[in-house]
Amino acid sequence: MSHATPRPVVNRLLEVLPRSIRQRMLQRCEPVELDFGVVLSEAGDPIRHVYFPTGGFISLIAALQDQASLEVGLIGNEGMLGVSLVLGVDTSPMRALVQGSGSALRMPAAIFRGELERSPVLRRNLDRYVYVLLAQLAQTAACTCFHVLEARLARWLLMTHDRAHADHFFLTHALLSNMLGVRRSGVTRAAGELQRRKLIHYSRGDVTVLDRKGLEKASCECYAAVIADYDRLLN
Amino acid sequence: MSLAVIVVSHLPLPLKDHLILPAHQPQQNRLLAVLPEAERGRLFPHLEQVPMKLGHVLYEPGVALQHVYFPADSIVSLLYVMENGASAEIAVVGKEGIVGISLFMGGETTPSRAVVQSAGYAYRLPAPLLKEEFGRSGAVQHLLLRYTQALLTQMAQTAVCNRHHSVEQQLCRWLLLSLDRLSDNNLTMTQELIANMLGVRREGVTEAAGKLQTAGLISYSRGKIIVLDRPRLEKKACECYAVVKTEFDRLLPDIMAN
Repeated sequence: MSHATPRPVVNRLLEVLPRSIRQRMLQRCEPVELDFGVVLSEAGDPIRHVYFPTGGFISLIAALQDQASLEVGLIGNEGMLGVSLVLGVDTSPMRALVQGSGSALRMPAAIFRGELERSPVLRRNLDRYVYVLLAQLAQTAACTCFHVLEARLARWLLMTHDRAHADHFFLTHALLSNMLGVRRSGVTRAAGELQRRKLIHYSRGDVTVLDRKGLEKASCECYAAVIADYDRLLN
Repeated sequence: MSLAVIVVSHLPLPLKDHLILPAHQPQQNRLLAVLPEAERGRLFPHLEQVPMKLGHVLYEPGVALQHVYFPADSIVSLLYVMENGASAEIAVVGKEGIVGISLFMGGETTPSRAVVQSAGYAYRLPAPLLKEEFGRSGAVQHLLLRYTQALLTQMAQTAVCNRHHSVEQQLCRWLLLSLDRLSDNNLTMTQELIANMLGVRREGVTEAAGKLQTAGLISYSRGKIIVLDRPRLEKKACECYAVVKTEFDRLLPDIMAN
């Protein structure tokens, strides 16, 4: 997964489709802008659209009744929001929150279902994408049990970096604390440590990745494992 | 390795009921039981009954799947295994499900380890046959995809539960999810397995079980757990048990109605 793309950003799930199917899909999508912090759906909401992010990216969040939460998936231009439709279910399994502003292509749910029935290639690819998302979920469940916050934060910054297509992006303490399921003071400490090691610069929500290789070393194994899954199945 | 026997005491089964139980049959697995006749006709002749021994590893992460398993009265735990060998449970699969969803989702291999968490029987099907049936885009595909969505909910809830809830709450959730998947309410477990499931140390499990005992919800001695008060166990569990159960009931009503 490349983090600095010189070409215009495309959605890779659409990009890998055979040309005729890709054209059909693109014709049936409309371009939209995703705005930072907007909740696209809550758990249990009916799915009206699927989203194929191009420039923006979306967090999948498992939330508890007391508002505590944990990010269990991140969807950028390598993925799509709305895989439940692929599984034959028309409601969203969790909260979807825009974590990075930017462009996306969206398609009405009914049209998407039709295309899925029509094209075995689309179904095969999206089944595989569901597998990758499931693997990401499983990994996150174990990662939160065992890995120290600093390594988890590094992993999370790398995943964001991949999807932000820029070395600089905006995050708030509150967001980071919700994503990682820890207190803000924990985020402050972990981010401070990554900054002290000159891997990132972090000031009032502005993150600049200074040393990508160093950040990869600071991350737990989980970052590389998820990418390996994606590359194996979808490249 | 010390054994913990988990028995539900408020449902005493007379011994003779055990003796007249029908022989194992594929329909004990609810996914198989609700298949239409044509699907049954194609799949059932190829099902092989296999004993599931406690602690037996059905497959390791990264290994190509040869079979999928439909538990009858056994329970299988899906564990995510770290490079250093530490593991955490991400889902449990019993008579309501299938072990090996990676196969039809195109993964061929699985990201998790599958370990028998409660002994019994399962029915297994050669991988190519399941893929062929899935490819027909009929009832099997429909059911398995919906099951996958339910499993996805279970995994997400487990992840957030691991992060925010106490070992004691997690243990309650885990006991309840296990009890729901048993046909006779008898579960034999090792403490070590429970610790692996919850991604905690054995001492943590012992301490949590001790607290539940003090509260009178279970009796726990020399590795034997008896559930004394299921309703209160449900109250003590975090919301995660109910969230998972509700979602399974909603997505798979025919399968969960039992």
